[in-house]
Amino acid sequence: MNEFIEAKVALQWQQPKAAYDVVIVGGGGHGLATAYYLATRHGITNVGVFERSYIGGGNSGRNTTVIRANYGIPEAVRFYQRSLELFASLEDETDRWIMHNQKGLLWMTHTEHGMRAEKARAAVNTAFGAKTRYVEPEEIKEICPQIDLSGGGKFPVLGASYHEEGATARHDRVVWALAEGAMHRGVHVHQRAPVTGLLRDGDRVTGIETPDGPVSAGVVVSAVGGHVTTLASMAGLRLPIRSHPLQAFVTNHYAQAFDAIAASTDLLFYMSQTARGEMLLGAEIDRQPSYSYRSGHHFLESCAHRAMTLFPFLRDLRILRQWTGICDMSPDYSPIMGKTGVDGFLVTTGWGTWGFKAIPVGGEQMAQLIATDKTPELIAPFSLDRFARDRTLADRGSAGTH
Amino acid sequence: MAAFTFDGSSVPFDSGDSVLLALRKAGTIPGGTLCFAGDCPHCVATVDGVSYVRMCQVSCRDGMTVEPHPVGGAPPLPDGTTAHTAPLQIRHCDLVVIGQGESGSAAAAEAIARGRRVITLDSKQGADAIGIYAGLTVLARSQYGLERIHCDDVVVATGAAEIQPVCTGSDLSGIYTARAAEYLLAHGVDLGTVVAVGDPPPGHASVSGQLVRFEGEGRVAAVVTRDWDGTEHTHPCDTAIVGLGLHPRDALFRMARDLGVTVVGDAAIDATIPPPPQAGTICPCANVTADDVKNVWDRGFHEMELMKRATLAGTGTCQGMACLPHLRSLLADLGGTVQPPFTARPVTKQITFGEISAGAHLRAYPRTALDGEHRRLGAEMDRIGGWWRPWTYGDTEGEYWAVRNGVSIGDVSTLGKMIVTGPDSAELLERLYPTRIAGIKPGRSKYVLILDERGYVLDDGLVCRDGEYEWFLTFTSSGATFAEMWVRDWAESWELDVRILNRTMSLGAINVTGPHAKELLERVGLSDPPSYMGHASAQIAGIDCRVFRLSFTGELSFELHHAIADSVELWRALLDAGADLDLRPHGIDALLKLRLEKGHILVGQDSDFDSTPRRLHHEWAVDLSKEFFVGKAATIRTNKAPLNKQLVGLTMDGPAPHEGAVIWSDGDYNGYVTSSTWSPVTEQSVLLGWLHLRNGELPTEATIEERRAIVSPVPFYDPDGGRARA
Amino acid sequence: MLERLEGLRIIANAQALDAAVWPNGSRVFRLAADDVFLLGDGEVHLDDPHAIVELETGFSGMSMEPAAALDWLESTCEWELPGQRPAFAQGAVAGLAVKLWFDETEVFVMTASALAAELEERMP
Repeated sequence: MNEFIEAKVALQWQQPKAAYDVVIVGGGGHGLATAYYLATRHGITNVGVFERSYIGGGNSGRNTTVIRANYGIPEAVRFYQRSLELFASLEDETDRWIMHNQKGLLWMTHTEHGMRAEKARAAVNTAFGAKTRYVEPEEIKEICPQIDLSGGGKFPVLGASYHEEGATARHDRVVWALAEGAMHRGVHVHQRAPVTGLLRDGDRVTGIETPDGPVSAGVVVSAVGGHVTTLASMAGLRLPIRSHPLQAFVTNHYAQAFDAIAASTDLLFYMSQTARGEMLLGAEIDRQPSYSYRSGHHFLESCAHRAMTLFPFLRDLRILRQWTGICDMSPDYSPIMGKTGVDGFLVTTGWGTWGFKAIPVGGEQMAQLIATDKTPELIAPFSLDRFARDRTLADRGSAGTH
Repeated sequence: MAAFTFDGSSVPFDSGDSVLLALRKAGTIPGGTLCFAGDCPHCVATVDGVSYVRMCQVSCRDGMTVEPHPVGGAPPLPDGTTAHTAPLQIRHCDLVVIGQGESGSAAAAEAIARGRRVITLDSKQGADAIGIYAGLTVLARSQYGLERIHCDDVVVATGAAEIQPVCTGSDLSGIYTARAAEYLLAHGVDLGTVVAVGDPPPGHASVSGQLVRFEGEGRVAAVVTRDWDGTEHTHPCDTAIVGLGLHPRDALFRMARDLGVTVVGDAAIDATIPPPPQAGTICPCANVTADDVKNVWDRGFHEMELMKRATLAGTGTCQGMACLPHLRSLLADLGGTVQPPFTARPVTKQITFGEISAGAHLRAYPRTALDGEHRRLGAEMDRIGGWWRPWTYGDTEGEYWAVRNGVSIGDVSTLGKMIVTGPDSAELLERLYPTRIAGIKPGRSKYVLILDERGYVLDDGLVCRDGEYEWFLTFTSSGATFAEMWVRDWAESWELDVRILNRTMSLGAINVTGPHAKELLERVGLSDPPSYMGHASAQIAGIDCRVFRLSFTGELSFELHHAIADSVELWRALLDAGADLDLRPHGIDALLKLRLEKGHILVGQDSDFDSTPRRLHHEWAVDLSKEFFVGKAATIRTNKAPLNKQLVGLTMDGPAPHEGAVIWSDGDYNGYVTSSTWSPVTEQSVLLGWLHLRNGELPTEATIEERRAIVSPVPFYDPDGGRARA
Repeated sequence: MLERLEGLRIIANAQALDAAVWPNGSRVFRLAADDVFLLGDGEVHLDDPHAIVELETGFSGMSMEPAAALDWLESTCEWELPGQRPAFAQGAVAGLAVKLWFDETEVFVMTASALAAELEERMP
């Protein structure tokens, strides 16, 4: 037995019903969180979650597990700050270990322009309650002793923003804790249950098609990652989403010694040590849009090289495994949540590289919207119609990585 | 005799021995069923500072240091001070054959006979395939270092691994797979009293019955089997040998199946599904027992991938080679169906950061032709807009005053520059730019915005006309690369007959700016300077230049564009000619100050993703009466939405707040500062920032860093532009 | 060391470039269907009144001995080099945009002058 074996969560599977009050398409973090908060906060339990693969098998299980709120615009800082709170209390609330660990996130920069950007980040974060401050190289070295501040003589570290509440949690365990909590209260979660079409009555969406037959629904929520544009098109909706691969890799496990989450805006990589001791690294999205989960060697070579520039100790670490997720990118690098203009059809999408860190708040807010039929104030800025209304969210701070 | 150090003790070895073989000869051997084939995880150790190295796969070298991993723990993070590096070799061929056993050799021979260029990789010869990637590309590590092999086809002939026993005591030492035992015997190792179960190696007989457990203290002392009737038999031994069947080494094939990769030989066999394990460690890497798996199963984790994630079985250093057969067997026993193996991912043989990054380079930042001049003058260089540029020459304030009061030169070679000609050139520009182009006369220039299809500002620059069909366009330094794609894409999609040449890296540009600029240029030969927003060709200090009269600093300015071969000569000539005018060059830090006093926006710093011309107070640069331009429909649409925020000028007493500072109105967030500086000439801080409208009105003042800021008209300095037009 | 090259840059329609007669002894690098970099002296006549013909000093280059060049390219060039001689090829070499001219006596290596210092660092 290792200490990380999931020892508590019990998943209760049920046969699908012909009708649910709420059908959620996608059994990833956002879909399950929506179900969880519907059940726990609003007593709505006649809910069916349909997952084409296994729960958490998409991007919920492919991300780099970072939780942070150091975004560049007030709307996002407020939103992710709520997510930090929910993450911090999720273990107590569910009585399940999600390996939540507040580590502090260093976002390093190597240029005058970058310093300016990190100071700006600290300012807007502070204004909205996120604990982020600008730190000088000496303090960076204290927080992260393994760093080579000279950047191998090529990329000297000039400063960083330090987001004290930056944390990690084990992605799968977040998914399972939410799934169990929802199932325990009567929500049905169905694996290997692809949705092949939408039932429509005029313009209104009234349910889903599955290989096992139609399932009617009071409301259908798309919490799909990757192929969301396909599903939305079945509702006659065109979403401004492009999907790009995002790759990551881990090393073997080593004794715990790397406490912080470290990232560089100019070298474009980020890194943390997992609870189990693996060094976990990621970089920016692939430029070419794709639905492919195939990993690339160029990413591995280049990301390893960039990371070694700041962290020479990595040189002799052995890489164990690489993988790829799919990021649904919206035009303004912010999520799209809520009503769509199509009756009976809601979306939570555009989760780009920040979906994991928004899981609880995304679910909480979508649940509130479903339960009350009113868009909560916290997610109103993220509505789909913002693009047509010229209320695009301009967050340069999100355009980067993880 | 040659020796290496293991756990602090010296271990002798025979030439050609692997570390594990030498240890076995010396009587020191790790626990677990050893395979001597690089499949199982039992012999990993730290070899010369690199952890997780299988000792059976490393040849002994005199003086090498081998440390066992800590019992029950993980090795420490290394300090990276070793000098392990690897060269990169890039190769091309028609076919890569991975594995040179019987079927691999045959596949290679057959292809060679057909005239195909073949590269073979064999881990027995020290060439490990790391992964197969789209392309096709095979990544390998060999005695040459890192190999990237680009090919049309791959044959995977990696053979099969032997199945590990899973039962009580399977972690004792002294247990070997059948092939491992054969290997040891061939190397003259005395195995003592041997008991074999399953398929034995040649020359040995197996005991009958099913394997139940191994007994012993640290080292195996007996094998216990059970007959069909349940009777247990204890067979005392020094060595236990297990032959439980084969499991294909097909991870490389599975990760690249859809890329058209072929698998042959034992790597293609159907995996043996062993009897479901009843006890013992299934996954030795993550220490997962059969009971653990059953326990997790009982709580609803039935999918193979969920089981893997819930137990971590298969996520350790052997990536499932040891546990996968048993996991499949146990899940089939519990659920009634055999599930497919979990996803195979690169890398299949572990590789260090140092090895994988062989030949990798950091992003290159181009340098202007004056780069050496800046460094010689002691400039602090910085990466700005994708280029190396001089941030300051050490005295930003002095550089600033040189521009305001005297004359100064600055390197603006990084500006995007482009020539466009052709019968449809005017049509192209008319459609690209939101302002009217047709009226620009040869020799004149016009400031232009570039909008995207959504009506947001992408870049700005100048359109300069040289003739009926000849144009010169400029873009910002950071927008230049994108600009070429933008112009070409539109020209091609509209099928316009134009010629386009990007001159960004071919032409240097020096900005001569300050009240004495004209005087300086007269000294070096400019007798007939163009008027404001005009341009002309001229010889300056004997160098062919195109002289643009414009102003970013707010002072009288001339931009001298020239072939970069002449940049240094021109720069030095200007410095010499201006010596008695106290001429000094200015860096970007001073330039940003100067332009901010003039309220000139920097696209990308002052503008944002959602910056419409209206929000930037740049409606004057958009002519909606034009029939068409990129972004017109969006501009009409966005103009209908109530205006919610604008970029405004602000002034404050006291030092400049930092850029990015929050702007407060009546205690609420109301925007942020995009640019900010102390303005020496107006003796106040001057700022640009985003301010939200309240009830349709812009506030007249705000609070920034707990001080009062006044919304102020821009430019902050020389508002009627008399100095620039002088 | 890479030296700054002085040549002509010619942008014209592809047919005009195909039909152009180049000065004797000049070296013609066809960078794209509509794009030529010409090293050598003499008049060029083009059947394209809208052609752009400009002095080009934006490239730097150096000659390498073939064996040494191929040795270097083998560890820095991801694409397959042309087998015939003479040949012109261009693409990423050591992560930078490089143009290569191969003939029996030399491999001529060119890049943008702005990246010449970077390329030199990445050469043997």
